[in-house]
Amino acid sequence: MNLQGSSKRGYRVKKDERFEIRIAGFGGQGIVTIGRILGEALSIYEGKNSVNTQSYGPESRGGACRSEVVISDGEIHYPNVRKADLFIALSQVALDTYIADLREGGILLFDPDSVKNVPDRDKYRVYEVPTMEIAHDIGGVKFQNSVALGALCPLIDHMIKESSLRQAISRNVPPKTVETNMNAFERGMNYGEEDRGT
Amino acid sequence: MLKYLKEEGPLGPRLPLIFCPGCGSGQVLNYTLHAVDKLIEEDEVRRENFLFISGIGCSGRITSHYLNFDSAWTIHGRALAVATGALLANPAFKIVVFTGDGDTGSIGGNHFIHACRRNIDVTILCLNNGLYGMTGGQHAPTTPLGAITTTTPYSNREEAFDLCKLAEIAGAPYVARWTTAHPQQVIKSIMKGLRKKGTALIEILSQCPVHEKMSPVTLLKGFRTKTIHVNKAKESTVGKTFIGEFCDLDKREWNESYQEIIDQFLRTNDKIDE
Amino acid sequence: MAKKIGAHDGENRTHDSYFLKPGRYYLQGNQACIEGALMAGCRVYAGYPITPAVETMEYASQRFPQVGGRFIQMEDEIASACALIGSSWGGVKALTATSGPGFSLMQETISIAVMSETPMVIIDIQRAGPGQGYITASQQDVMQARWGHHGGGPIIALAPSSVQEMFDLTIEAFNLSEQWRTPVLVMVEETVGHMREPLVIPPRDAIEVIERKKPQDLGIPPQDYLPWGHGVVAPMANWGDGYNVNFVALVHLEDGNIARYSPQANYHCVERLQNKIEGNVDEISRIETKFLEGCKHLIICYGAVSRTAMEAVIEAHEGNGLELGYIRLVTLWPFPEEKMRKIVGNVDTIFVPEMNLGMMRHPITEALRDRCKKVVSIPSFGILHSPEYILSRIQEETS
Repeated sequence: MNLQGSSKRGYRVKKDERFEIRIAGFGGQGIVTIGRILGEALSIYEGKNSVNTQSYGPESRGGACRSEVVISDGEIHYPNVRKADLFIALSQVALDTYIADLREGGILLFDPDSVKNVPDRDKYRVYEVPTMEIAHDIGGVKFQNSVALGALCPLIDHMIKESSLRQAISRNVPPKTVETNMNAFERGMNYGEEDRGT
Repeated sequence: MLKYLKEEGPLGPRLPLIFCPGCGSGQVLNYTLHAVDKLIEEDEVRRENFLFISGIGCSGRITSHYLNFDSAWTIHGRALAVATGALLANPAFKIVVFTGDGDTGSIGGNHFIHACRRNIDVTILCLNNGLYGMTGGQHAPTTPLGAITTTTPYSNREEAFDLCKLAEIAGAPYVARWTTAHPQQVIKSIMKGLRKKGTALIEILSQCPVHEKMSPVTLLKGFRTKTIHVNKAKESTVGKTFIGEFCDLDKREWNESYQEIIDQFLRTNDKIDE
Repeated sequence: MAKKIGAHDGENRTHDSYFLKPGRYYLQGNQACIEGALMAGCRVYAGYPITPAVETMEYASQRFPQVGGRFIQMEDEIASACALIGSSWGGVKALTATSGPGFSLMQETISIAVMSETPMVIIDIQRAGPGQGYITASQQDVMQARWGHHGGGPIIALAPSSVQEMFDLTIEAFNLSEQWRTPVLVMVEETVGHMREPLVIPPRDAIEVIERKKPQDLGIPPQDYLPWGHGVVAPMANWGDGYNVNFVALVHLEDGNIARYSPQANYHCVERLQNKIEGNVDEISRIETKFLEGCKHLIICYGAVSRTAMEAVIEAHEGNGLELGYIRLVTLWPFPEEKMRKIVGNVDTIFVPEMNLGMMRHPITEALRDRCKKVVSIPSFGILHSPEYILSRIQEETS
């Protein structure tokens, strides 16, 4: 996706390579936190440029929620996702709403307990991780975002080191819960290497 | 009570309500409809005469989203001003104002005391959760001294209003305070307020489990155990004007109190964590 | 000279520990503006909760006491704006942040601040309107910024487009307000307010901070002091400086007299205010340009939309045939008409993408109507324009 060229007037224009991530689900699932932690890990610990935006409904819990992270080595102009390279769907409604924006061959990570139906599955690289179930197993739904980040980690290891993500999580959760969140992160990361779908 | 609700809510079926799980707003809606129903059945008040007006906040969403009556979702703090206008147009309206502690006690303070002073025929239901819920848990004029909120991260240095005392002093003829854990009392008070010709304030302590970070059950139990009924004998003061010093207290001045926060949290080198 | 009071007496810049160390941070726009304000010497924040400006307030409540400043949540926005006046005349730079409905409430106070020449900064994190509107982004208050305060007095309004600019332009807003003795508005979209991006905080000595000129600094003793005289921007004596200065927002003469009113005095007062800002528009306002040379069409934009526009323009230059020039208004008001007329040649169409039904397109049209065949608005509501949308509209209009 790296284009270099000059316009008729001789301006040298280079389009910086962008990697676009979208996370969507219900309010209260930690969607905003996932985006924020990813953005911080990339920007501070990996020295990349990233923009994190979000949108949500007005209810504190339960409304639809979406977070986006655009990553680039160069300057990021348009801050939102144009065509996602990676889509994390934590609810069926979220999947239905945004699946069309995921590029062919892009990565789709979803929770099979809340997302039952994925149209045109073969177009994407699909990973199913029961983030909610693992979170409940560890201590509650509030650890779901760390599980999701763990599940995400190996999929983007070309951009971001495991240690960067760990550091970012530790800085963004209440100090007493760091250990449990690290646990959740590991569980997500190690979830059935062989269980990962196609 | 379902007959008093719209067929559909804002996001689809009217139930479940959009309020956060465990929120007191749903209970207040329920109690209000019971009181309204009694008035329609017993007093034969026409349903068309009811007018529900709300301000802005979580409490504000009770009207437009659910009630199958004439209603208005107005400006923050100014529901009473709108109500005043409505009564000028038609004094027969039976007006119920849904408002919150921030809506009434903060930005709406001026309209609140004047409505009470004028004694306009409204029944004010003030859902008091001691903070600003809709915007994320900031402190309100009813937040207790010392509380930690998102805008008092070090501690609240302001005393809380007693909205009932305010209403009484301003001239409201019927003032009561209950909680969401006192359903029958709330219903009775709302009925009394509706029947009273004049300003009625019913302050209802209402739980916000999300921002208090406690379970609704704990909060409701607290409403039962940490409240006490007050029955005061009222002396007759007809025909007389009080004069003299009413109070002469020593109280911490705001800036003096805030200075303690600065002194404690001033970001000197030894306080920075990497 | 009156006894100095509080932690603000000149100490506020001497403690490095107050500020974030120079380096790279990941902050929200709503937080970056607070760090900028603190760098600029702001030590009072008075505000009222309103979505989507709430994070600014919450962050301020944490940071202000840490630097010896004071934070207060007022009873409403009118009270907040009035508190800014009180703080400014008390000698301390003050800030508030709000959104559309609160901005409307502040208009009388802003007008008072314009007339009394009170330095202060108000950030409007714009949401959709009118009325309660919705809590999504918009640029719907940009005309209100200029004309919302009664009387039409001039004002300065800036439009940041990134988290870095939330930091930089808030500092610039304070500097402009002190230099020109005027309220300054920072017009932000919810998009930029809630966005998180890397923020580079430079060393403090690399940041220029401007303080208001005081008569005591210029050697003007109280008996010779003209509160609204001594030049284009009157030096400002503050309460407690020993100058017996009277804050007034009625039409006034240079010596502060409000009784000897006449239509001439009115005109002179208002004209002086107008010229102070509009007469110095070249110095005050800033624009950014790209690809202007020989461009066939021109996009003029501001705020968050400028990021989409830049992406669209770069894509156009990568060879889909559209020769698009780009101008970004960093300053919305005073409107940089002459600056633009100097650099814009004849173009075919000027496109103005805005998150409203077309507001800045009016002064743009007034300024450049004779340099183009037409001016076309590209509105978007509730969501930031996408590059595809801007380019497709341009293709439609130009084919």
